[in-house]
Amino acid sequence: MVLQTDGQIRTGRDLAIAALLGAEEWGVATAALVTAGCIMMRKCHLNTCPVGVATQNKELRALFTGKPEYVVNLFAFLAEELREIMAELGFRTVNEMVGQVDRLELRKTDDHWKYNHLDLSPLLFKEATNLDVALFKQEEQDHGIAEVLDRKLISVAKVALKEATGVKAEFRITNQDRAVGTMLSNEISKIYLGPGLPDDTIHIKFNGTAGQSFGAFATRGVTFELEGDANDYFGKGLSGGKLILYPSPKSTYNPSKNIIVGNVAFFGATSGEAYIKGMAGERFAVRNSGVKVIVEGVGDHGCEYMTGGTVVILGDTGRNFAAGMSGGVAYVWDINKTFVKNCNMEMVMLDTLDEEDEKLLRTMVEAHQQFTKSQLAAHVLSYWSTAYKNFVKVMPIDYKAVLEKRKAEKKAASLKLSVGNTDFKFSSN
Amino acid sequence: MGKPTGFLEQDRELPKKRDPKKRISDYHEVDPLIDESITQKQAARCMDCGIPFCHQGCPLGNIIPEFNDAVYQTNWKLAYEILISTNNFPEFTGRICPAPCEASCVLSINKPAVAIEYIEKTIIEKAFQEGYAKPRIPTTRTNKKIAIVGSGPAGLAAAAQLNYAGHAVTVFERADEIGGLLRYGIPDFKLDKQVLDRRINLMTEEGIKFQVNINVGENLSIQQLKEDFDAVLLCGGSTVPRDLSIPGRNLKGVHFAMDFLTQQNQRVGGKKVTVEEIWATGKNVIVIGGGDTGSDCVGTSNRHGAKSVTQIEILPKPPNDRTESMPWPNWPMILRTSTSHEEGCERQWSIVTKEFIGDESGNLKGLRVVDVESKTEPGKASTFVEVTGTERVIPCEIVLLAMGFMHPQHAGLLNQLGIEYDERGNVKASRFQTSIEGLFAAGDMRRGQSLVVWAISEGREAARAVDQFLCGVSYLESKEVSMLTAL
Repeated sequence: MVLQTDGQIRTGRDLAIAALLGAEEWGVATAALVTAGCIMMRKCHLNTCPVGVATQNKELRALFTGKPEYVVNLFAFLAEELREIMAELGFRTVNEMVGQVDRLELRKTDDHWKYNHLDLSPLLFKEATNLDVALFKQEEQDHGIAEVLDRKLISVAKVALKEATGVKAEFRITNQDRAVGTMLSNEISKIYLGPGLPDDTIHIKFNGTAGQSFGAFATRGVTFELEGDANDYFGKGLSGGKLILYPSPKSTYNPSKNIIVGNVAFFGATSGEAYIKGMAGERFAVRNSGVKVIVEGVGDHGCEYMTGGTVVILGDTGRNFAAGMSGGVAYVWDINKTFVKNCNMEMVMLDTLDEEDEKLLRTMVEAHQQFTKSQLAAHVLSYWSTAYKNFVKVMPIDYKAVLEKRKAEKKAASLKLSVGNTDFKFSSN
Repeated sequence: MGKPTGFLEQDRELPKKRDPKKRISDYHEVDPLIDESITQKQAARCMDCGIPFCHQGCPLGNIIPEFNDAVYQTNWKLAYEILISTNNFPEFTGRICPAPCEASCVLSINKPAVAIEYIEKTIIEKAFQEGYAKPRIPTTRTNKKIAIVGSGPAGLAAAAQLNYAGHAVTVFERADEIGGLLRYGIPDFKLDKQVLDRRINLMTEEGIKFQVNINVGENLSIQQLKEDFDAVLLCGGSTVPRDLSIPGRNLKGVHFAMDFLTQQNQRVGGKKVTVEEIWATGKNVIVIGGGDTGSDCVGTSNRHGAKSVTQIEILPKPPNDRTESMPWPNWPMILRTSTSHEEGCERQWSIVTKEFIGDESGNLKGLRVVDVESKTEPGKASTFVEVTGTERVIPCEIVLLAMGFMHPQHAGLLNQLGIEYDERGNVKASRFQTSIEGLFAAGDMRRGQSLVVWAISEGREAARAVDQFLCGVSYLESKEVSMLTAL
């Protein structure tokens, strides 16, 4: 492993100290930006950077005076100064220098009373080296990329990739298989770009326990059916794919009372759909911006910072639900009447369902039942006309206002259009 | 700051100054009255910088983005409170400060700077209009007595601050009016003396005592002061002008700038001039020295009705814009055209004076000058070399010497004290404490000739040092320690 450090690295001296403390690589960001003209306005998020560094405003970008040479210069100086210090200390290479903590000297200072209580000895501890322990990276790590499950997926999906014809397959999966489907999706995107393949073109069933990031960035055309359970980051960045998860029929537990998928599922997902027969861990659908997903319960911080999409929860949530949620809709089946105290009301309101909501919900629950054979879904559907009344609609306040305004504008526009046409007819007469 | 895109929508635009042709017939301020709607638009240009360089550009550490925002929000009271927390006399700096804050304004990297000085002036004028600028009388008194010698901006700032700390402050002034250079140095057309009186009245109401016509060391002994007061702060300014010891210096018509300016301020103030009167009326005037004092001489000469006014300077003509050797946010040595220059004046650079030439009766009739070139050798201070064949005589009847001030007056008080000087002849006082315990110094007397804004800064910091000396601890604001909370 290579140890990299960053944070306020600005001079060759900083590099040298970091290296002596064990760093083999350094990250230099602010200093490089400053040489290119950054004046630390801290306005990168407002599109008003007055020196044209971090803005898309053409007028402001024209004011950018930086040149690549300036950055090159900075790094030349950094390297030169590091060389000087290395020469002074008698090191020929950076590797020789890495972790030689004993070459650092503690400066005596009584500038501040707090210094007296500062014990740096753990920081300045030097690991003894032997045949098995070294201070810098000795060998390349084998990440096993050549052997990952995705290689097999890509190989069975060859026809689909080439001719967009349907492919079905089944694999065993273990928790050592991480980010399954990501490389496959990459292959699809390389050929079919953003739109991907038609839905369900590649349908693969997995049996077992999926490792982290199952179905991460899965693109349209990919359908993964997982019988078993999954780790964290399930469906992370989902980009149009379909994920179905249900426990093994051999399992004895009640899925609607047990967590079958780990934390941070669907983080930053943008599109696609998913059906989970069972509960999810914490931070479910955080930063979701477009996925339609149904799950039978979530942990704390569900739907945090969500900006779009539809989340249906057939069960309880943890605390701090919908914190910072600015878009999208969540429907929570609040049968136990616990939701109100768990919802963070800073940005959202709880609404009743209208006809449209009811239709959408019903379609989703039906699909859930169909794909996962969920007993809970079947139960809810069995007395739908009363069951759906226990759903609470979670809606960001500003988002709702925008939607309503758009609706009104659309209506007004169509009205105006018809009135306008009439006027035109009149005047032409 | 209130408007993130303000700087993209609004240009720097300030109200026009009074017509130069008309204004030279009087001594009223050249700037028109404030227009707060303009100020508000200008405040919207402030960008709420992540690193506001104006904070370090301003010697007082004025909290500029915050008061700009308050102005944009039309919260003039808050703006006033923010401003007054770092600057005792915004009505002076809002008029006569060269505004180093604007030179370091981030916007000035590629656009005209935020009009900070005009905003400052508006805030304080508005505060007086609306009655926010009230006497702030301390609720408790410490029973400590402090004497401040000198009533220029440093002495006044220190007096105000020490009074807020609860000490009994008396300010001694050798002239017949309070204010130092604010009173008898800076012409009325730049700083109306009513503005000064308004502040002094406020300070009097706050409990500060002012004693004029007291020249400590002459008609009041320093011994007496030390006995009567718990601490003494010297703010006597840098008053010894740089002289030009060349042939003809004693001719009639060669004067120091300050002698000329002082008596004009006395006349405008309705006082009798008791020394030999200096009039530029109908005469050819040459001002030697290209600084602010020289510029004041130009404006005053024009108001006298001089036949011609010429200002000469030994340094070469500065560039119009920043060069690579003076990058932002440093103070740029660029060509500045003051309001007095606008009123009419010939400016010449790279000239050194060789001799004053007089007629038979000892009156000045001309100036022998020669062009110089500056010569720089690496590792050495640059020198001036005369350009052969450029020697000439410029006819003139009055020469005003405005070549700066060297150090405080040593004769009298300072020498009587046997106080230590620094290598430039200023009073040596690191952390404002002089070589004599209980005796402090601040302002130009300590740091050498400088700006009003620096004098105020010196006075404030010295007040803190004096307060600490007397009480062990000080809760006075200073540049490092702001007491402003909960913005």
